[in-house]
Amino acid sequence: MSSTTSSSTMSSTTSTSSNHDLAPILQARHLGKQVRSGDRSLTILSDLSLTVFPGETVAILGESGAGKSTLLGLLAGLDAPSSGELKLFGESLAALDEDGRAQLRAGRVGFVFQNFQLLPTLTALENVLLPLELAPAADNDARARDWLMRVGLGERLDHLPKQLSGGEQQRVALARAFVTGAELVFADEPTGNLDPATGERIIERLFALNREAGTTLMLVTHDHALARRCDRCLRLIDGQLVDMTLEEVGA
Amino acid sequence: MMASGDSRRDTRRTWGNGLHWLGLAARGLKRDLRAADVRALFVALALAVAASTMIGFFLDRLERGLTRQAGQMLGGDLVLEQGEPFSSELKSTLREAGLTLSDQVDLVSMISRGERFQPASLKVVDSAYPLYGASRVDVGNGVEPLPRGPAPGEAWVDPRLESLIGLQLGDEVRVGRTTLTVSGIIEREADQSGGFSSFNPRLMMHVDDLAATGLVQPGSRVEYEILAAGPPAAVSSLDARLAALKRDGVEVRDVRVDRPGLGRALERAEKYLALAGLAAVLLAGVAVAMATRRYVDRHLDTAALLRCFGASQRQLTRLFALQLGWLALAASVCGALLGLAGQAGLLALLTAFLPLELPPPGPLPLALGVLTALAVLVGFAGPTLLRLKRVSALKVLRRELDPLPASAWLVVAMASLVFGGLMWLYSGDLWLSAALLVGGLVMLVILGGVGMLLLSGVLRLAALLPQGSHGSSPTRALRLGARQLGRRRQASLGQLLAFAVTFAAMAMIGLVRGDLLTAWQDQLPEDTPNYFAINIQPQERDAFVETLAGAVDDRTALYPMVRGRITALNGQAPQEAVPESGRGSNALRRELNLTWRDTLPEGNRLVAGEWFGPGDTVSGAEASSNDAANAGDRAATEPSDKVVPISLEGELADRLGLALGDTMSFTIGADTLTGRITSLRDLDWDSFRPNFYVIFPPGVLELFGHTYITAFHLGDAQSPLPGQIVENFPAVSLLNVEAILGQVRELLTQVTRSVELVLGFVLLAGISVLYAALIASRPLRAHESGLLRVFGAGDRLISRVQGAEFAILGLASGLMGALLAELAAAGIYAGWLDLAPRLHPWLWIGLPLGGALLVGLIGHGLSRSLRRQTPMASLGLLGES
Ligand SMILES: Nc1ncnc2c1ncn2[C@@H]1O[C@H](COP(=O)(O)OP(=O)(O)OP(=O)(O)O)[C@@H](O)[C@H]1O
Ligand SMILES: [Mg+2]
Repeated sequence: MSSTTSSSTMSSTTSTSSNHDLAPILQARHLGKQVRSGDRSLTILSDLSLTVFPGETVAILGESGAGKSTLLGLLAGLDAPSSGELKLFGESLAALDEDGRAQLRAGRVGFVFQNFQLLPTLTALENVLLPLELAPAADNDARARDWLMRVGLGERLDHLPKQLSGGEQQRVALARAFVTGAELVFADEPTGNLDPATGERIIERLFALNREAGTTLMLVTHDHALARRCDRCLRLIDGQLVDMTLEEVGA
Repeated sequence: MMASGDSRRDTRRTWGNGLHWLGLAARGLKRDLRAADVRALFVALALAVAASTMIGFFLDRLERGLTRQAGQMLGGDLVLEQGEPFSSELKSTLREAGLTLSDQVDLVSMISRGERFQPASLKVVDSAYPLYGASRVDVGNGVEPLPRGPAPGEAWVDPRLESLIGLQLGDEVRVGRTTLTVSGIIEREADQSGGFSSFNPRLMMHVDDLAATGLVQPGSRVEYEILAAGPPAAVSSLDARLAALKRDGVEVRDVRVDRPGLGRALERAEKYLALAGLAAVLLAGVAVAMATRRYVDRHLDTAALLRCFGASQRQLTRLFALQLGWLALAASVCGALLGLAGQAGLLALLTAFLPLELPPPGPLPLALGVLTALAVLVGFAGPTLLRLKRVSALKVLRRELDPLPASAWLVVAMASLVFGGLMWLYSGDLWLSAALLVGGLVMLVILGGVGMLLLSGVLRLAALLPQGSHGSSPTRALRLGARQLGRRRQASLGQLLAFAVTFAAMAMIGLVRGDLLTAWQDQLPEDTPNYFAINIQPQERDAFVETLAGAVDDRTALYPMVRGRITALNGQAPQEAVPESGRGSNALRRELNLTWRDTLPEGNRLVAGEWFGPGDTVSGAEASSNDAANAGDRAATEPSDKVVPISLEGELADRLGLALGDTMSFTIGADTLTGRITSLRDLDWDSFRPNFYVIFPPGVLELFGHTYITAFHLGDAQSPLPGQIVENFPAVSLLNVEAILGQVRELLTQVTRSVELVLGFVLLAGISVLYAALIASRPLRAHESGLLRVFGAGDRLISRVQGAEFAILGLASGLMGALLAELAAAGIYAGWLDLAPRLHPWLWIGLPLGGALLVGLIGHGLSRSLRRQTPMASLGLLGES
């Protein structure tokens, strides 16, 4: 299916997007996820649909245990849905195997994990260098240093994760997500461990990127200030996404 | 009152506490079994137990089996021999000690068939003969094994007697004053008792017929033997009595000491098997050490939390010690069962080759196995575990507050101490164990340095590699793999050392095996002489050499032989001159065979002094002789105390307490001759060649009556040569030792098989250890590859990166292993196995390549399942991490 033809039909069904004349960067339809724990099956997501356009900023809110991390993982192709259809960069993920999905992500998708997932044996700099090594370039080192500088860790390049505070580790994870110049960045509670001032600086960075490079942002957050700055706010409830009004977000 | 009540309550509380902790530990362990490192720990411990029990069981049974076989060759576990009948008092003492006895009489006598006479070596046996094994005899139905001797009235004879005097089955043969019926043709006797010293053809008969022969008269040369069979403990209980017998001039052959013809081969084989057992234990220890590191890393958080909740250091220690105690117990049981099953399997395999009946497994190896497991746990895991108790509660908040890793020195020191102890236990040689240990530690330090250099070298090399143009180009994978390896420097170094030690142990066991086999083959090469010819008269010498020429190897040499008795050492009576331990030596009681020669005989090695130079070749004039008439006019012009140079065999020199420069006097016939020791020789008594304790330079012994002896190899069983010799040289005794040679070779083959089987087991143990170690490092690699996948790395790239990493790891550790193995093997050869060290060039190629392949394959296999997982699962975003 050609993405240019579908874009015009889809744009009418979505509302507040600023780039609705482009093909959607991410499209989920009737997504469902069940997991088995023991002999009981637990439904985390059911019949969930979502369309995101390039350059959009989307915030996902929801109670603890609502399934936000699960959803983000699914959308990034880190896991396979139990049902439904998912397209990333216009390509259907169902048609791709694990390998194909990885290739689709390479250099284009960034991810900030809720629990950071830094390699304990690598220094901050080496952790940030890791995704760059998949697409080697002469200026890798400089780029990694630059990003660590931007998140305020220019002096901590050679420190191991366990020598860094929780917030500092989170900032390394952020640097690592952005260093490849990804088009689409998923961030699971990116400011969860940061003090308001640092959180504010990081948020500034994110939105500056969004403005300058058109990076699409999908954020899971409990921070309403952050959510309010996004183009769209969605609440994950009962396994489905519902649009939130500005008042709801402000509340 | 108060005090006692308090203490009772205290006791109860401690008890309740103890049970509580025991349960807590068990539950913790059960939860832990899901973790790869605990499983690896379990596997490694079980392997250590399995290895040591299996090799222990096997060695124990083989040792006892081989001893029995050696006993069979000797005729019993204990053989006593003297020139007169043994007292019934001695016999009952031996029986009371738990030995089964068989009496035997050996003598040389003329036998005849019709008008044809022949001297024969009579072996007179009783109904208890043989104590072990069976003779191979043809009693009319072809050759068959018979576990008995001839019945009264019958005789079994050497097949040579047919050609000598036409003796055949059913014939009558006259022995002394009686006549026996030939009822069997002997292919091989059950034992070698009685020896082949007489070189005459054998005739076996029953002891009941001995009196009727009338051969036993006062003054006749008869040897009486008692052959005794029984457990080693029974023989040991007689040690004091045996020593007294030896002082009285009784010849005592003890299977524990005198293993006929095979001494060195068997000794080496046993040492080898023990070495292999140690190698397996070392390998398991290395795996335990690796698994423990991860175990501790993983439990630091738990420990910190428990500290938060108020656990004391003691309680923590107790909890984790108990937890591992449970693990060790379970692993010991599993390992012991595995070891038991393994040795049964080994033996089932082996008995196909072994006509050797092995005694059932004893309990000792089992105890040794469990002891080994505990020692390995304490030694290889102890110091690392102590880290857990030093955790501070604050670590829950500040992750960098990990207690310092146990000092590498402490870990190595503790492990070495324990391993050294095990080595001592296994080898029974304190000094050797200490030397090996110190050598090993020095090596480890050097290897650590080399490893660091190698790793940084790898990192630097990786940076130089071309970037690689497309997604998963090999050079890029190599670059990435090398980087990952270089970055995890500490962990990589640990693995590098562990794998190097593993490869070295595997290679060493392989190397030593190869060199052992070569040594055994060298000992009895294809062309080992299978015929001895003795009593060649000087005037027949040239004709005899001519007869041999062309038919046998030209290295075949004729040795002149003069019989002489030692009468003085350094001018003193021998019994006073020698150390106490040498007093019972045969060399002092019997006549020695002396020879002369201008070159060192084949198979002899000079260990001290110098071989005769041209100046030493004494012209007849310089010989010292007291018998002027015999020496003619020459003796008159020379002083009678003139001393000639001689060369003495080294072991005899030790026994008699002689060194270079000492003098020995011999009585030859009516003459006395004195020699000064100018060289000491080492020679191989198992070589089936004529060997001499004392060699003179030419020009001394020629004056005395002498005959010649030679040994030669005859490849063709149909050769007419033996017939020609018997016909043309009637005075010459020709002895075919092919049968004995075959028996020795067979035993060597059996030992070789067992060595090969054990080698196979060590290789397996090594592989399992690699496996266990790689499993333990899997979580970290899983995390890495999961992340790479999130960043968009494909299957090909991930597997190539990991493959490259494993290959580099294997290559580097193989290289280091080769270094270690070469040095260790050299040490072991020189210090323990009594073999000449040599360089093994292929090792330096084979081990790195083999290492890369092996680690690569195992690593690849292990990471396959990881690659199929979704990143969500392999990162453990929800499950355990
Ligand atoms: N593989 C799985 N097995 C069992 N349960 C699962 C699995 N994956 C997710 N869950 C469950 O699904 C629910 C949603 O999990 P998820 O991590 O997505 O929540 P969340 O919205 O991110 O919560 P939080 O805000 O606390 O991070 C949880 O109750 C979790 O336990
Ligand atoms: Mg979450």
